[in-house]
Amino acid sequence: MFDATHSPVLCAITRHATVTPDKVALIEGQNRITYGQLVTNIEAAARFLHSINVTTGDYIVLAARKEVEFVYLYLAAHLLGGVNVVIDPASPQDRLDYILGIVKPVALFGIDDNVGATHCIAYNDIDLSDRVGKNIDLPQIDATSVADVMFTTGTTGVPKGVCLSHANIAGSAININAFIGTHDDDVEALGLPLSHSFGLGRLRCILMAGGTIVLVGNFANLKTFFTVMEQEHVTGFGMVPAVWQYIKRLSGTRIGKFAHQLRYIEVGSAALPIQDKRLLMELFPTTRLCVHYGLTEASRAIFTELHSDASRLESIGRPVSSLVDVSILDEHGNQLPDGQEGELCVKGNMVTRSYYLQQDNQEAFFGEWFRTGDWGHRDSDGYFYLTGRKKELINVGGEKVSPATIEDAIRSLGIDDCACVAIPDPKGVLGEVPKAFLVKNAGDRPAIEELQRQLAQRLPAHEIPVQWEWIDQIPRSASGKIQRLKLKH
Amino acid sequence: MIESRVKEIIARVLNVDVDRVTCQLSSGDIPEWDSVGNLAIISTIEQELEVEFPLEDLFDLTSVQSLIDEVTRLTNV
Repeated sequence: MFDATHSPVLCAITRHATVTPDKVALIEGQNRITYGQLVTNIEAAARFLHSINVTTGDYIVLAARKEVEFVYLYLAAHLLGGVNVVIDPASPQDRLDYILGIVKPVALFGIDDNVGATHCIAYNDIDLSDRVGKNIDLPQIDATSVADVMFTTGTTGVPKGVCLSHANIAGSAININAFIGTHDDDVEALGLPLSHSFGLGRLRCILMAGGTIVLVGNFANLKTFFTVMEQEHVTGFGMVPAVWQYIKRLSGTRIGKFAHQLRYIEVGSAALPIQDKRLLMELFPTTRLCVHYGLTEASRAIFTELHSDASRLESIGRPVSSLVDVSILDEHGNQLPDGQEGELCVKGNMVTRSYYLQQDNQEAFFGEWFRTGDWGHRDSDGYFYLTGRKKELINVGGEKVSPATIEDAIRSLGIDDCACVAIPDPKGVLGEVPKAFLVKNAGDRPAIEELQRQLAQRLPAHEIPVQWEWIDQIPRSASGKIQRLKLKH
Repeated sequence: MIESRVKEIIARVLNVDVDRVTCQLSSGDIPEWDSVGNLAIISTIEQELEVEFPLEDLFDLTSVQSLIDEVTRLTNV
């Protein structure tokens, strides 16, 4: 057995493997992996990583496929004191190139094609045969050392790497499990992407609690998801509001038939409309309906449980635990009195200490307080309310989209100037969608359909604006910055 | 004809090679075909092939083949 004292997540998994070795930890298709097997496979994966010269402090990039090998490698890197960079398997090439260029990983897993000079290894090429090898001598690893770097969408369109320590990711799981009341007999269907903080966090929560996680591709195929719920006696799952809209649109209220078995549902990553909160409460009268507010940098800082907080459905809730502090600060970092509007700032056991690039840390913190960029206030009972957003990202069904990325792509099509803003999804599914404002001489304007067609080759579908408007001029500040708020009104 | 149009739309919407869009491919089989992608597929097929999927059928439209069959059925009504 390796020394895993630096990783509370691994310590918890090892403890489950000792106490309940035959308990199923992971289900993926026909694979059923017990806690005993999980630990053996994590150790074999660590030996494999070591054999390709991954050691403490090294980076590996993992394409977040819903395969057991992803889980083994992710935890094996933690065991060695390596750093995981978890990415969406469908990442656009420029994003992937940028990430590989700055983290310079030893290897990239789960992408079959060669990417530049990076050593690429498919998950089914990982050799897990070294199951009884010798322990690997490792230096002393600290719990505050970086375990994961998660890349989020920056407002300028350039991804920002969020450094999370072993203590951060474990702290987050402990906070969430305590709030939700996760048990070791919980079975969770994981349809969320593992490349996002929410989905990866759910995996860690369940494994820390000693429960069972069922890896489901995603929510697109609701028939499969419902079959898994039935066959595996699922007791909980996580979803973003856009998935809830999707479930409603494709299956009506059919999901209500699982109310008797679902102990919890966690919802987050975007605002859930009040009428949907009420519908969930009606469909799931005895299920803990836990709605979180958080960011990758400060994972699930605030929670509300809809039944308990039924009289405050407009609120995003209160800090998740006594180890997390949330405050409303003014532009100088001074605490504001209850009721007054300011920036939500968070400190606590799960809050990042730094971005990967030093330049991204500018204006990210007020001392220990992480600045969320969201505006709101707190009432006298300690409940928080969101009123606006300083950062200009567009939240398309939980996917954060930088307007600058879309604008660059549109300008590359010969448009003189443009600006994108978030508008409510006219179909009522995705929460927000992009709208583009365009500038070009009336006689030279291309057809919108043609712009859409060309953009489809440059941007993922969810980043393509759904509304378009020709205007004479994009409003800009004296320094040339786009004044998006003026376009929203 | 319908088969190739449906496959071409799915490949375009998901931004994947059309060779990957086999009749057996189902939503959720590839990361690109997620819930957002599925909604985009449904609305693009409705718009470009001028059909309207009945709400009660959406739950069962889980594969390329089921979409081809449904479009064929609706255009023959």
